[in-house]
Amino acid sequence: MKTRCTLITYAVISLLGLMMMLARENVYVVLALVLGFLLLGHRELWSLVRYQRLPIIDDRVRENLSSAMRLTGGFFFIASIVLILLLRFDVFENTPTGLIISGLLVTVGFVYLVGYHYYDRVCPNLGERATHWLKICLLTAGLSLSTIALAIVLHNLVSAWFGFEDAFFFILGLLVAPAVLAASLLGSLAVFIKGLWASFNGVEQA
Amino acid sequence: MKTRMKEYRARLGLTQEKLAEIVGVRRETIIFLEKGKYNPSLKLAHGIARALEAGIEDIFILDDD
Repeated sequence: MKTRCTLITYAVISLLGLMMMLARENVYVVLALVLGFLLLGHRELWSLVRYQRLPIIDDRVRENLSSAMRLTGGFFFIASIVLILLLRFDVFENTPTGLIISGLLVTVGFVYLVGYHYYDRVCPNLGERATHWLKICLLTAGLSLSTIALAIVLHNLVSAWFGFEDAFFFILGLLVAPAVLAASLLGSLAVFIKGLWASFNGVEQA
Repeated sequence: MKTRMKEYRARLGLTQEKLAEIVGVRRETIIFLEKGKYNPSLKLAHGIARALEAGIEDIFILDDD
């Protein structure tokens, strides 16, 4: 009990201190920090609020945590490369760098959250067919996201090289690819929710 | 792998939560074990068997196929 209180007090004081220090410089970083804290510590926070104790870490949780961490690391690596390329081509123009980096960090936190719950609850409940659909949807989402980035870069390049406003990459990058991305994300979400819903079956009310 | 955890647990009148507490795992782990969607470690299987007052081979049945 004493250790837990010390841990919570330490976390709250350091978070507040960090927020106060960072708030003077960049509000986006503070927001990213708070959101990141909520996303990364959601299990602990939920358990403390709901059961007044830290969550149990068993073999299964350990396996799921490392899978989620691997997924998050991979995403962070790829997203960083894409972001560097986009910054190199000045796609964001006047957007503050703090906002871009904060957005990336929050997205990484969100990927961790989704990844953990996927391995923890969704994955064991998905049949072969649903898993196949999820893979297709995620692959399509990844491809359309890459298409958006590539089309923006190509649109700028073609417009600069040939001196006319390119329409093909503009429509591809701002209309077609986002529509495909939205559809594939909705498909993934539907499969995810289906798996999550199934995980509540077999739960006995104590 | 098939399990007879639910049957043995009911025989002792234990809830999923109580069994999870005894063996030191989350309730979700017990749920997935009962559904046969998670293979336990030898240590966990031993702990469950002991909590359910049975042998490991009585509770966890390996499918031949």
